[in-house]
Order: sequence, then structure tokens, then C-alpha cells
Amino acid sequence: MPGARPGALAWLLLTPLLAWLALFVVLPALLLLGCSLGERDEFGQVLWGFSLENYARLLDPVYLGIFLRSLGFAALTTALCLLIGYPVAYHLARAAPRVRELLLLLVMVPFWTSFLVRTYAWMAILREEGLLNALVAWLQPAWAPLGLLYTPAAVVTGLVYSYLPFLILPVYASVEKLDGALIEAAHDLGAGPWRVFPAVILPLTLPGIAAGVTLVFVPAVAMFAVTDLLGGARVPLLGNVIQNQFLQARDWPFGAALGVALLALFLVSQLGLRALRPRGALRG
Amino acid sequence: MKFKTPILPGRLAALLLALLPLAARAAGELNLFGWSEYVPQPVLDGFTRETGIKVNFETYSSNEEMLAKLVAGGGRYDLVQPSDYTAEAMIRRKLLQPLDRARLTGLGNLAPAFNGRAHDPEGRYTVPYMSGSVGIVVNTEKVKVPVRGYRDVFQAAFRDRIVVVNDSRELVSWALYALGLPVNTIDAASLARARPLLAEWIKLVKVFDSDSPKTALLNGDVDLGVVWSGEAAILWRENRKFQYVLPAEGAHQFVDVLAIPAGARNVTEAHRFIDYILRPEVSRQISAAFPYTNPNLAARRLLTPDELANPASYPKGGKLESFRDIGRAAADIDRLVTDLKSAK
Repeated sequence: MPGARPGALAWLLLTPLLAWLALFVVLPALLLLGCSLGERDEFGQVLWGFSLENYARLLDPVYLGIFLRSLGFAALTTALCLLIGYPVAYHLARAAPRVRELLLLLVMVPFWTSFLVRTYAWMAILREEGLLNALVAWLQPAWAPLGLLYTPAAVVTGLVYSYLPFLILPVYASVEKLDGALIEAAHDLGAGPWRVFPAVILPLTLPGIAAGVTLVFVPAVAMFAVTDLLGGARVPLLGNVIQNQFLQARDWPFGAALGVALLALFLVSQLGLRALRPRGALRG
Repeated sequence: MKFKTPILPGRLAALLLALLPLAARAAGELNLFGWSEYVPQPVLDGFTRETGIKVNFETYSSNEEMLAKLVAGGGRYDLVQPSDYTAEAMIRRKLLQPLDRARLTGLGNLAPAFNGRAHDPEGRYTVPYMSGSVGIVVNTEKVKVPVRGYRDVFQAAFRDRIVVVNDSRELVSWALYALGLPVNTIDAASLARARPLLAEWIKLVKVFDSDSPKTALLNGDVDLGVVWSGEAAILWRENRKFQYVLPAEGAHQFVDVLAIPAGARNVTEAHRFIDYILRPEVSRQISAAFPYTNPNLAARRLLTPDELANPASYPKGGKLESFRDIGRAAADIDRLVTDLKSAK
């Protein structure tokens, strides 16, 4: 019952979830925070302490730039996913049930193979002597070869490809629940399709959009595998820099400080997103 | 005493946990942590077929990654494959345990030049696995100008046509060589001099890849590389247009070794694996798959003239130098390269 205070039984049932959160979310976050205040010794081991030096290093223009670039890549990825994914999800949800099941299956099919294998497949498509360049050379030899692999465009392509289903599915769920009567009513009241969409459909599917945007944006900021493989490890984004601190540079405290900053950023953006959502659309 | 009470669940769990390693030992297991693209699968299969010992093989793509995982204790490794200078640091830090040389019957197969090296003068902790250098690969169909050293590679004309290994110590050492500075005594002053040069160079690189830098060259995505000699040797074998050049300013020669970490559980299995690798016919298999410089003389006799003629595997001449443990400066190098790569 919405609004009712949970009783003792509810708390009991919630205990596993709360324990899980405490053990695997809160505790690691505290460890991260503690580590970020330490230092590394020459062999990469963490010396616990209290120093804000790692945070001071974050303010270096180099790392501020990486933050901005990562947010930019993630925002572009999210925007493209939304642009491509929303119409797909909409038509998916409005299709005849049998067709809908088949189409939904097709959205899920990529998950049957390893994500890394699919990224390598993109490398085979984009590389200089790859499939796409072979097609370009066949169509217009003067244009080939296009330098596609190891570019920012390749990274965004890979990111959009990887995260598109994460946007389609929540939007699909919310379009499916959309009450057709409301749209009919809008039409009856004289609104054309260009009015109905922004005035009725969009607000009602906003929860799905918000969920999809979060599911794409958050992992896209921290992704490192796609940027390493398709970007040639030379377009450093936040995920790569953090991963490098743990495995290459062996500077765990600095990596932890980057992680904490990322966490803080998500917290702020989630609060911002909540504030943006219209009341009443919250439960979606 | 309450005999009615069954065994305490906590103690039962503790007992089972204590028995777990015994079970693993009975079956025979070896947790090998090695470089990617370095240990051929048939060698592992052959070892298991002969000894019944199951090999759990995990890979890394830099000495730093191996150290990070070993020191963090995420996995229990029985055998690691560090480069000589990293092994030197590990010995100093007591991260390796002494070998029982009596159990290694094939030690006599090694070339004398690979015994008693600076990282482990008495050979107490390490056995050479493979050796090699880091040099320049040129696709001579695309690059028509002569390339002799680092400065010839890192030119504006070759922007986005270069692949290099993703290894901080290597990158910094190239700049130091080009500046005529020592690569084994590194201080703030020498790093400050290397910094602007390296910043320029890093901007020209298209791909950083330590796992398989040959791929970008083979696919035609780049025309030049500064890569492991074994990768260069494979390229030359594929197509003679890929020429290997030892940089005139000086080049790094590495010896990658097999060593047993201090916390290893399956020490007997680790010794058996090292001894297996020392066999000429096994070592020969490694050379066939990954044509680095084979330190095993008996194995080298089994190579074909073609394999021995590969200029990347067995270079003639060249100014080669080993890396040494540089202690605290390693951290400064890591930080410098992180800053420069991030600034791209």
C-alpha cells in the first residue's frame, strides 16, 4: 500500500536486501573512500593514511578534461541511443503481439554472445582492410580507405551498439503500459500527432526514458573495454584511467579517488534527475 | 558432554575448507600466471597429458598488471613469468621463493649467456623462459624512408601510423635513449628532460597494445611499430615486407623468467612445469609459436635454418641493454605516463 509505514514483517523481509547493500555497496564504497585518502609505496601497495593529495591531483586540468570528455562521450552515446531506441521501442510495444515477441527476441539476441566477441567483430568491420572499407572501396574507390578504427567515432559506435538494448527495454515497458484511450481522447479533443506526442505520449513514457537514460549513461561513463579495443587505448576516458591506476600504474589510492569522484557525480546527477521528474510520474 | 548434538556447523565448514587444498593437491593442479601470447596451448596440454596435472592458466599484459594482482592476493599463483628487472624487484621484496635446482634436470640445456645475469646472479629464484628485445617494425611497402632509430619513427609524418606496446617503462626508456640518458638510473631531472619529448611522441601513436601489437600492423591500420621482437618475428614470417630494426640509440633486451611466488601452494607441480619447459622439444614448440630468442641451446639446435635466420628472433649486432630494478622511480614513471596519455 503506497504511503503505509512498513511493519516489522516488512523490515524482516527487507533484511536480505539491506544486508546485501551494506556488505556489497556501502562497505566497498567506504573502503574506496579510505583507500583514496592513502598513498602508494614504490611497489604499488597501499599505505593507509589521511591525505587529500589524490583529490588535489583530480583538479589538475588533465583530469578535469577527462571527466568532461567522459561525460561528453556518455551524453552523446545516451542521446544517440535515445534517438534510435525510442522509436524502436515505441513501434515494438505497439506491434501485433506475435510480431512483438519476435522483435523483442531480436533485441535480446546479441546478449547470447560474449560482449567482447561482439566488440572484436566491430574491429573486423571497422579496420582499414575491414568489411566496411571493402564496401566503400567497391562503391567509390576514391574514398577508401576511411580511417575508422581507433577513432572517437569508433568508440561512440561501440558504446551505442552495446547499450542500445538497455534503453529500448525500459522504454518499451513504459510504452506498453501506455493507455491507448488517452491518446484517442487527445485526438478527439483535436490534437494532431505533433501535439499528442509532446503533450501526452512523452510525459507518460518519461519514467521509461529516465530509467533507460540512467542505464545507458552510468555504465557508459565508466566503460573501458570498448574504449581500449575500438579506441586503441588512446582516447583516455574515465574508465580507462581508473582501470590503468589499478593494473598499470598500480596507484590504487589515486584510482580510488577517481572512483569516489565518479560516485559523487552519479549521486548528484541522480538527485538532479529526481528533481526533474514530474510528480505523479515517479511510480513507473 | 552432549553427544546428542551433531557436529558444529561452523567447525564442519572449517574442516571442509581445510580439506579443500588437499583435494586440489591429490588431483594435481598448477596455477600459472603468464604473459598473453607467450605460452602455446599445446605445451600446456602436453604437460597435462604427461603428468595428469591440471593447469589453470591466467594471462596478463604487463609486469605491472601481474604485480598488482599478485600483491593484492586476488589469486593464488604457483608460477609467474616476470621480466628480469621485475623479478629482481620481486626477489628484493621477498615475493619469490628459492627454487630447488636439484629438481630441475634440464638446466644444462640453457645457453651460458643466460645464466648468472644481474637480476638473479646465482640463479636461485628464476629460470629463463624466453628472451627478446624491443625494436622497430617497418612496413617497407608503405614507409620508403630509412628508419634507424626512435626519432625516425616518432615523426609528424607518421602521425596515426604507429603502434607501440602499452608499457610505461618501455615508453620512457625510448625517450631516454633518444636523449642519450641512462635508462637504469632515473631521477627527477632525467624524467623532466624526457617529458616534453614523450608528450610529443605519445600524440603521434595510433594504438597502444601490449597483447598483440602485430594485429594493427598486419591489418594495415598502422605502418610502423615499436614492439616485442617475437611479434616482429611473426610479422616477418608472414610477410618479408615487415622489417625489424634495433634502434640505433639503444634497445632493451629482456629475459622473461619462470619463478615461484612466495605464497605458492603447488611447489612440486611448479618445479615439474619448469623442468618440462626446459626440455628441448618442448622449448622448440614455444619457439615455433612465439619466435622470441630461445635461451635453450639444445632447443635452438632443433630450429630450422629459416627460424634461425629470422632477424627479429636472432638479431645480429645492435646496442642491447637489460633493464634493472629502479625502485621508487618506477612510481614516478607510472605517474608521468598516466599524465601524458591522459593529456592526449
